[in-house]
Amino acid sequence: MEVNAAPLKTLGKIAHGQSVEIMEISSDCGRAGRLAALGFLPGRRVRISRIAPLGDPISIEMDGQEISLRRSEADLIGVKEIA
Amino acid sequence: MTAAVDTKKRPARIALLGNPNTGKSTIFNRLTGLRQHIANYPGITVEMKTGAMLVGDQQVEVLDLPGAYSLAAASPDERVVMDALDGRMGKRPPDLIVCVLDATNLKRNLLLVSQAAELEIPMLVVLNQWDAVKRNGLRIDADLLADRLGVPVVTTVAKRGGGLEELKKAISHSLDEPRRIPRILWPEFIDEARDIVRNGLEETGNDVTGPEALRMIFDTDSAFADKIGHREKLKPLLKSARDRIRSHGMNPASAEPVLHYRHIEAVLDGVIEGDGMVARTRDSVDALLLNRFWGSLIFFAVMYVVFQSLYAWAGPVMDLIEAGTGWVQDLVSPLLEGTPVLQSLVSDGIIAGVGGVIVFLPQILLLFFFIAILEDTGYLARAAFLMDKLFGWCGLNGKSFVPLLSGYACAIPGVMAARTLEDPKARLTTILMTPFMSCSARLPIYVLLIGAFVEPVYGPLVAGWTLFLMHFVGAVVAMPMAWFMNRCILKIKAQPFILEMPDYRVPTLRNVTIRMWERGRAFLIQAGTVILSISIIVWALLYFPRPDEVAAKTREAFIAEKSSAMPADALAAELANPESDLSHKLDHRIGGAYIEQSYLGQFGKAVQPVFDPAGFDWKITVGVLSSFPAREVIIATMGIIYNLGADVDEGSDDLRSIIAQEKWHEGPRKGQPVYTLPVVIGLMVFFALCMQCGATVAVIAKELSWKWAVASFATMTVIAWVAAVLIYQIGSRL
Repeated sequence: MEVNAAPLKTLGKIAHGQSVEIMEISSDCGRAGRLAALGFLPGRRVRISRIAPLGDPISIEMDGQEISLRRSEADLIGVKEIA
Repeated sequence: MTAAVDTKKRPARIALLGNPNTGKSTIFNRLTGLRQHIANYPGITVEMKTGAMLVGDQQVEVLDLPGAYSLAAASPDERVVMDALDGRMGKRPPDLIVCVLDATNLKRNLLLVSQAAELEIPMLVVLNQWDAVKRNGLRIDADLLADRLGVPVVTTVAKRGGGLEELKKAISHSLDEPRRIPRILWPEFIDEARDIVRNGLEETGNDVTGPEALRMIFDTDSAFADKIGHREKLKPLLKSARDRIRSHGMNPASAEPVLHYRHIEAVLDGVIEGDGMVARTRDSVDALLLNRFWGSLIFFAVMYVVFQSLYAWAGPVMDLIEAGTGWVQDLVSPLLEGTPVLQSLVSDGIIAGVGGVIVFLPQILLLFFFIAILEDTGYLARAAFLMDKLFGWCGLNGKSFVPLLSGYACAIPGVMAARTLEDPKARLTTILMTPFMSCSARLPIYVLLIGAFVEPVYGPLVAGWTLFLMHFVGAVVAMPMAWFMNRCILKIKAQPFILEMPDYRVPTLRNVTIRMWERGRAFLIQAGTVILSISIIVWALLYFPRPDEVAAKTREAFIAEKSSAMPADALAAELANPESDLSHKLDHRIGGAYIEQSYLGQFGKAVQPVFDPAGFDWKITVGVLSSFPAREVIIATMGIIYNLGADVDEGSDDLRSIIAQEKWHEGPRKGQPVYTLPVVIGLMVFFALCMQCGATVAVIAKELSWKWAVASFATMTVIAWVAAVLIYQIGSRL
């Protein structure tokens, strides 16, 4: 293991405007399968494009599309921040 | 031309399959025109439209499947899709699947296609919104895609009818020469996992197909597995199948999409050119519409317009319908003068009932006009994004806002508007919450009681505040109930709240009018008949048994009472003139006597003890009971009961002063006023919480089921009663 590897965060905890690479979908519940079906897959790069005025849900840009998720669901997705 | 269909001697069936927001329904409308009908899928509230189109001279049945992202049957919508394609719905599988794709988002849209290819049904691919491809800086090689997929690919701009002729030709061609998309080549361990389940189930004599076995393995909450039964046998089989996948380093929950997407990326290699940049206009408009300050401001402005249209703008049209109803009554009534029963049935039962159905149409049409525009422009998704946090905690979601807001004008369009919610659990909860919102029909009783009892004692300021606060009683009770229901009662699995932010689009008049027509028609046919029946039943309960001696006895008593005050011949002369003041008073008194002896009146007297703990006398009880079909009739009923005639309104000084003076005639409270403050508040809260609206019950029954309609009616009645009793019991001890 590389020492300077960034620790894995979850997508729900990422700041507005930040781009991330999806590393894993942590759970194997049905919701995880659903997120995968929408294209939230390891290796994809996404960006937090917007946060609702009340703090939740968040809007995620992926492949030129925008999909909004509640933070609780976004937290099923493990990500690594990229510059 | 359609020889392949002819020989089978049955109409061919095609199914439209696609993600939400692909314009699938627009294509359906274009293909079938208005030759369509909507059916609710049995058991769940997913609606499926079927229609007919002509291919050559052949009638072809077209099925518009609910929009779905995946065949993993996580939601009822998707379950319907899988059932329909699988032929397990009591019908054979379709002869052709027309896959409608959003051309600007091919990768994700192809997942469903790739999954459906497993079923080996002939397919045709439509790339819709073709005009947006160029706008978004993309170039798509449709011919290359057709080559790779092995089926015809048609490009359309369905909104404007572009490419529709080509699509019809392609459908006809595909029915003659069916082409299939080759199935994805699964890695060996997936085949092994599939065989574990299939072979294991073979012993039970339950024959599942390969694709069905795969669905059960991939879908953790597979509805399909529930249907197969043999749970105890199936569970270990699925576990070992999933372990096989896990042993190859894949998460079984995401293995299927991962493998499909790998396949799709290979298919799309070289098909799409361009960087897939975000549509710039969408980004800048979103920056405004989702802005913390401006976005919220615009949201409230938009919602204000929607609400105002239902609350105020629909008013004149509704008045017109009511006036029209009265006009028809006046026209028809004299024709039946000879037979009072028939006259009353036709006039007060049937004509009033039909008028009572049509009167809801303006609000329904207006609301669906706005909903069609909000959905088609893409704003509804943004509104849901802004509001979701407010509703999420109690099991609703951002899309509940419009139905609940509409409920403040009228629960009927509100309940119908809950169709915009895809998540069945949130849709159910929203429908059940909507009747708690303080609709405009509750206003008259608030105005009457506040005007009679609060304003004279506490002044206009307190009266105003009371009226304002009464509008929140329902919501304040309903929201925690929704939370409780979601936590403890509803067994439906919660769906993740996934909201796609579509590109902004200009709505078309055609789509908007079709939506309005669809909903208006469904209401008239489905709910209208029930509402009319209720209206006739209630008429009968208020009319019969109507013994003749009631009128005579009331007249005698009236004359005896008045003769002490005026000479007998003057009295007789007054009563001989039907337009005189005394004649009217007598008529009103007879009307009151009839309602007292009607079945409903007798019932009201009989059940008065039930309402006694809330301090209601038999008159209030009859008023409350007769308001169950439609709460706004309380004022007219009170007018009749208090011998003022049915023409009183909530501002009537006569009615206000008469109820203010009303005293108990018997029982332990004899001589005390009936309407004390706790009774008045209790009565208003009862009206706030009770579902006194037959039309709402009928609409809930049509949108959900009779079971839910009856359950919510019973629950609201009990809650209303408990609240009124608590207020009276606590209030009169203070």
